Amino acid sequence: MKTLTMLISRWWVQAYLDFMWMTRDFRFFFINIVSDIILNLAGVTAVFLLAERFEGIGLWSRDQIVFMLGYAALVRGFLDMGFSYNVLHISRRIGRGQMDHTLVQPQPVWMGLLTEGFMPFSGSWSLFTGIGIWTWAIFQLDAVFTMYWWLMFFSNLASSCAIVLSFSFVWGSLAFWAPVAAEEISSRAVNFMFQLKSFPLDGLSVYVLASMLTVLPVGFVAWYPCRQLLGIAPANLWHTPLVAVVLSLIAWILFKKGMQHYEQTGSQRYLGFGHRG
Amino acid sequence: MNRPGHSATSVSDIAVELTEVDKIFYQRQRSEKVRDVFKNLFRPNVREIRALQKVNLEIDCGEIVAYAGPNGAGKSTTVKLLSSVLAPTLGTVRCLGMDPMKDRVHYVKRIGVVFGQRTELWWDQPVAASFEWKRVVWDIPRDRYDAMLDFVKDLLGIDAFFNSLARQLSLGQKMRADLALMLMHEPEILFLDEPTIGVDVLAKRNMLEFIKNLNREKGVTVMITSHDMDELEQLAGRIVMIDKGHIAFDGDFQELRRQFGDHRHLIIETSDTSPPKLSGVQFVESKGNRHHFTFDAAQISIPTLLDQAAGQTTIRDVETHRAPIDDVIADMYEYWDGKGGEE
Ligand SMILES: Nc1ncnc2c1ncn2[C@@H]1O[C@H](COP(=O)(O)OP(=O)(O)OP(=O)(O)O)[C@@H](O)[C@H]1O
Ligand SMILES: [Mg+2]
Repeated sequence: MKTLTMLISRWWVQAYLDFMWMTRDFRFFFINIVSDIILNLAGVTAVFLLAERFEGIGLWSRDQIVFMLGYAALVRGFLDMGFSYNVLHISRRIGRGQMDHTLVQPQPVWMGLLTEGFMPFSGSWSLFTGIGIWTWAIFQLDAVFTMYWWLMFFSNLASSCAIVLSFSFVWGSLAFWAPVAAEEISSRAVNFMFQLKSFPLDGLSVYVLASMLTVLPVGFVAWYPCRQLLGIAPANLWHTPLVAVVLSLIAWILFKKGMQHYEQTGSQRYLGFGHRG
Repeated sequence: MNRPGHSATSVSDIAVELTEVDKIFYQRQRSEKVRDVFKNLFRPNVREIRALQKVNLEIDCGEIVAYAGPNGAGKSTTVKLLSSVLAPTLGTVRCLGMDPMKDRVHYVKRIGVVFGQRTELWWDQPVAASFEWKRVVWDIPRDRYDAMLDFVKDLLGIDAFFNSLARQLSLGQKMRADLALMLMHEPEILFLDEPTIGVDVLAKRNMLEFIKNLNREKGVTVMITSHDMDELEQLAGRIVMIDKGHIAFDGDFQELRRQFGDHRHLIIETSDTSPPKLSGVQFVESKGNRHHFTFDAAQISIPTLLDQAAGQTTIRDVETHRAPIDDVIADMYEYWDGKGGEE
């Protein structure tokens, strides 16, 4: 309970900071909104055009594709809104020696990371895009959605977000040992996930598919859960949440190991332009 | 800023205690030669840096301690050990009866840290926003917060730029804002790592005055590093000098001068243009009738020197002053440099 109040008060103050920041300069704010919307739309347009032109792709009808695109845009939207300030790109924080700031704050490290990147005003435009696309799809699809379905929808959505975040933390934790390299690898990997997230992966060879569900778990960002949610494949709605739990655990362990290493070595990047010793 | 005893965890009057602390870093050395590319990649040369070696240091609650030493001596490393950022390689660190690494969350709530080269302010936000953020994350009760805000606004003069963006502040303004922010949760110990870097003389004087007051009136313990010895001497009674990871001196400034020679300047104006021949002094220069010498007051006294001079010429005027503490320290570093080198 105490923890929950702490979390809420932190999200609240971040929201306040974000509001102040957003209202500071309207022009900047406007450009920001437009670019976020464009970015998120651009990520799904190609696939949408294909689906539109061919009346669906493979097993997927056009509307089902739109649903998946909406789902993918929602994932991106939530992550943009909840984990900016380089929390999603954690390798940057680690590599640039910014963990020092986190360590002198009287709160568990995870609490800082979970709340600091919350930008409900300036960061939510890509989420609105997602909500838009997704709502449209929901009305197009003529299916009956049960309570259970909604429950599974939200847990899958949350899991997909957790998978992207954990994935970034797994690679990002490398920055504790090799800051420069990790920043490269990790930010590419995350961008790659976002670029590929909206493609239906059916029909790929087993090997490619296997790697897209493990090494680079793009499949779980939208394709896999949507297949199940829409009944295109047998409904194993627990798969994605399960993967999310496992991957989060790996990320947590690696990050923890990294922090222990950090206690011993401090910021390595500091040395690059730092010392004088 | 509560007196020790206020909280259940502080049982002793010792604020900081380092016992036999070693801190070792490993730095990769890269060779610039092309043929070493693979060697750099797979078997890099790793150099061991002993940033701190067998450091023993105790600071009582309510003390102001100056912590000085040449570049790379280990000052910032010490501050990081004391502020829950780094763990020692060997030895123990105890502060306010806690282990800064194990009790991090409770501990950092009771200390304040400023790293002069960094800022805790939210960069793209007005200064005010960082204070609001601080109130929430440090969980400062509203009334304490308001009282403290009035206090720091008044004494550090941050009111003028309280609503400006942090990144638009000048270096000195930023420093003051950082200091104010750090004080908001009324810490019991302050660790200030080069807080006066880039601050102009007036702002610096005010800042030092402020720190002194805080110590006097609220009993706050202060550990401050700086390369400006005059500043440290104004502020602190006790000075700890560190060199190549070793504590090289721990005492007061008087003692420091005594140990490293009490250098004085003597300027005598005589009726002659050639300087009198004095023993036990170094001749610096003569400008007309004014003759400039330096000497060590621990070795030879001024009356003796004047007697010598009076025997040779007519003295018209005498001026004497102490070498600035910076000179003492420079001599000291030079001496260490010659002596050291085993690293
Ligand atoms: N994270 C690190 N990794 C490796 N070596 C480090 C690290 N931090 C510091 N060092 C080394 O430890 C030694 C002590 O550094 P430290 O920053 O404590 O010096 P300092 O006394 O603060 O110097 P300055 O006056 O220049 O600020 C230096 O040789 C430095 O190169
Ligand atoms: Mg330093």
